[in-house]
Amino acid sequence: MKPFDFIQPQTTDAALAALAEHSPNVRILNGGTDYVVELKHVAQSPGVVVDISRLQDLKGIEITDAGLRIGAGVTHSEIMADPLIAEHAPAMIDAAHTVGAVQTRNLGTLGGNLVTCVPSMDSGPTLLALDAQVTILGPKGSRQIPLSEFFVFVRKTALEPDELLLEIIIPKENLGKPAGFIKFGLRKGQALALVNAASAFRIEDGKFKDVRIALGAVAPVVIRAAKAEAILEGQAVSEDLINEAAKIAVTEASPIDDFRASKEYRNDLIEVGARRTMQAALAAANA
Amino acid sequence: MTDITLTVNGEEKTASVPPETTLLKMLREDLNYTGAKLGCDVGDCGACTVLVDGIAVNACLMLAGQAEGKNIETIEGLSTLEEYHPIQKAFEDVASLQCGFCGPGMIMSTKALIDQGEELTRDDIKDALSGNLCRCTGYTKIIEGVIDAYEEITGKKVPETNPRAA
Amino acid sequence: MADDVKTKEKTESLESLRKADDNLRLPTVPERTLFPKEIGIAPAREQTPAVGQRATRPDGRMHGLGQTKYIDDMFFPGMLHAKIKRACISHAKIKSIDVSEAEKMPGVMATLIGKEIPVNSFGPSYQDQPLLADDIVRHAGDGVAAVAAVTEQQALDALEKIKIVYEELTPVYDPMEAMKDDAVKIHNGESNVYSSKTIIKGDVEQGFKDSDFIFEKTFTTQMVEHVPMEPHASIAEWDANGRVTLHTSLGRITLGRADVSRTLDLPINRIRMIATVVGGNFGGKNEITTEPILALLSKKTGRPVKCVFTREDEFISSTTRHPFVMEYKTGMSKEGKIMARKVRLVCDGGAYCSWSETTLGKACILSAGPYNIDNLHVDAYAVYTNKTMTGAMRGFGAPQVCFAYESHMDDMAKELGIEPLEIRFMNAFNEGSTSPTGQLLEAVVVTDSLKMASERFGWKEWQK
Repeated sequence: MKPFDFIQPQTTDAALAALAEHSPNVRILNGGTDYVVELKHVAQSPGVVVDISRLQDLKGIEITDAGLRIGAGVTHSEIMADPLIAEHAPAMIDAAHTVGAVQTRNLGTLGGNLVTCVPSMDSGPTLLALDAQVTILGPKGSRQIPLSEFFVFVRKTALEPDELLLEIIIPKENLGKPAGFIKFGLRKGQALALVNAASAFRIEDGKFKDVRIALGAVAPVVIRAAKAEAILEGQAVSEDLINEAAKIAVTEASPIDDFRASKEYRNDLIEVGARRTMQAALAAANA
Repeated sequence: MTDITLTVNGEEKTASVPPETTLLKMLREDLNYTGAKLGCDVGDCGACTVLVDGIAVNACLMLAGQAEGKNIETIEGLSTLEEYHPIQKAFEDVASLQCGFCGPGMIMSTKALIDQGEELTRDDIKDALSGNLCRCTGYTKIIEGVIDAYEEITGKKVPETNPRAA
Repeated sequence: MADDVKTKEKTESLESLRKADDNLRLPTVPERTLFPKEIGIAPAREQTPAVGQRATRPDGRMHGLGQTKYIDDMFFPGMLHAKIKRACISHAKIKSIDVSEAEKMPGVMATLIGKEIPVNSFGPSYQDQPLLADDIVRHAGDGVAAVAAVTEQQALDALEKIKIVYEELTPVYDPMEAMKDDAVKIHNGESNVYSSKTIIKGDVEQGFKDSDFIFEKTFTTQMVEHVPMEPHASIAEWDANGRVTLHTSLGRITLGRADVSRTLDLPINRIRMIATVVGGNFGGKNEITTEPILALLSKKTGRPVKCVFTREDEFISSTTRHPFVMEYKTGMSKEGKIMARKVRLVCDGGAYCSWSETTLGKACILSAGPYNIDNLHVDAYAVYTNKTMTGAMRGFGAPQVCFAYESHMDDMAKELGIEPLEIRFMNAFNEGSTSPTGQLLEAVVVTDSLKMASERFGWKEWQK
């Protein structure tokens, strides 16, 4: 690794001050499962690395007035073991379980997964399907934006160099919303998603309501399949409609062709993934 | 250079290392705990697995500075001259290790798993070891070793599963 | 009565085996569990009491304790770290290499380029591979220069300062393209085919005429890296008496010692090679890689020099399993008997021969499968391409052809409407069969083992 300065603030204020002082030659480190790997291969030193793993403000999973608050520094393993998440957003556990392997999940954080903003991130689809909001801290105070606006492009988020992702909030009305998540990788463990998907909807009077279908690894950022959602929205619950929506979802994606999988194969996976997650959400709604 | 103080296998250790040093490099080169191995250096193979405050992590992905003040357990800390650790004994008896390079990581992952104190199935074991690669054994003997160790330590049984059902 | 004596003898010999085994172990802690707890006689074969017994490994305890010292676990006073600069270009002429800037970098103690190596070539069959490419780069993983520095990072930083001017040459990646007459010649010879083998048995054309059906199919396999958990690693120390000591993860040290002697132009008795426990070989650690380079760096600096491959080095510059293109043509009677078979194997050898020549031979012999075929014609070629060289790997050419002939067999069984196991029983070697190369086969149990295996894994149930 190229030499850099290492700062380990103990408070969020100190972290923000360090970011402000060294911006733009500064990078944030938390779990390191992605960034330390990057550090080992970069040609240029980042200058200063600020380790935010000790910040208590970034920890904790709790129910607040706004909804379910998950600190950006919560690890995937913590999500998997958390009773609040199991109760209010169990699809997140399925998503967290597919991240890397045990060691990666023990270090890697939810915030880190989102900030990395790779198309194949495993946390993105479920959170998008649950209309998650993110809180960003910066020198001018905090701001809250929908997760969909947080993702800008491959490895680019709405975060400025002197800003910090504080927390992820699943809005109150979406707690317990039936949802399903699926990931297709080349293996069960240590695999990047070829395609991942999450769906969520409510069933009211036998009709689909608030339908969300989110797809990962099929576009520069995690996307919502709006046309497929529209097919279901307000319609009477039926398996045929789910199958149709899954087919439509394929048309909304633009997967790449690479050494992991061909475009055609990924398109097949999108249909299967969208269908299975909708079926899972339906099963959860009926449970 | 930064001074890092941490606890390794119950002993407090201090080393002065550059900030870009990983926990693995510090353990191996500055503190002489060479049990954890460098296999891939990107967090894929698990040969560098150590326990940090009881949880299994890839030491190659953690900067030494991040481990400041933490409690580290490595393979060297398991057995003592008086007592052979049941996981290591089971791995020896079943011949779970061939070339042995993955062994320290495998055993530390196994320890983290068994220490959780939960009821285990074969699938749980496979899941818990999915971050530890082995190229010699095909994993069968390793899983047998974990089962033997788990049964020895906890007195519980891992349910028999029909291999054809998997 | 006689059986009792036999049993007793076997029990005793087993005990003495165990004792010998136990004496090898370090006296660590309590007693080991012995397997099996009840000593019995192996039921399958009676040649040796070891068959059918569960065995532990003498080195298993140290592995589990984390006490086994692999190369990377060894540190010597004043030891330097070496890194190799990879070409990252698959076919090029080297116009110039300038290491002067690298030598000025902090911590750098020495550099080395191919021209400084006394005999810059090695290889088990043909010595066609340079340790560091000095004239032509033939694949992207070719080393072009080496640096020894106080820390690994200093060595890596210095690699960035090495200036190399290349003149790009046309690369060829496809072995079928490389075989053509007008293809670019990777080793300046007349052809990129550097080894060919033929087996002819009976009259294959007549066999096809006598067949009811002809089946043709081309099979291909991909390149496979061994991915040993422990990357290649060596430490060299050139001492004041002009002797070099090498600690290395090499599997075949005797061969390695001869290669080091040849490349360094140093009498073999001046080379001391110390092999330690290898962290996974699988055929990938059969040849020298950086050993002579480290020896020369050590000679230049007077200090021990260690080099551990990064995972990237391991993937791009160590040997791999050969990709094969396998064209099969088989004539069958309508009952399902193989009448004739013609096979053409093209083995993509990558940039250098390595073990391709020998691998090709084995693939060739085994390409007909364990079947009685009276009329057989096999042609096999090993071809240079501008890819990572392919060498020995578990099975040595057999897995590739096995994939082909068994897939082919299944296809034919399906076409002919014969049960896949049945078609194999019909054609499999039996006692006294001759192999394609005329070897008389004894103790042939293909059919028996197929039967036993299919019963045990529930072939019939799986068919449903």
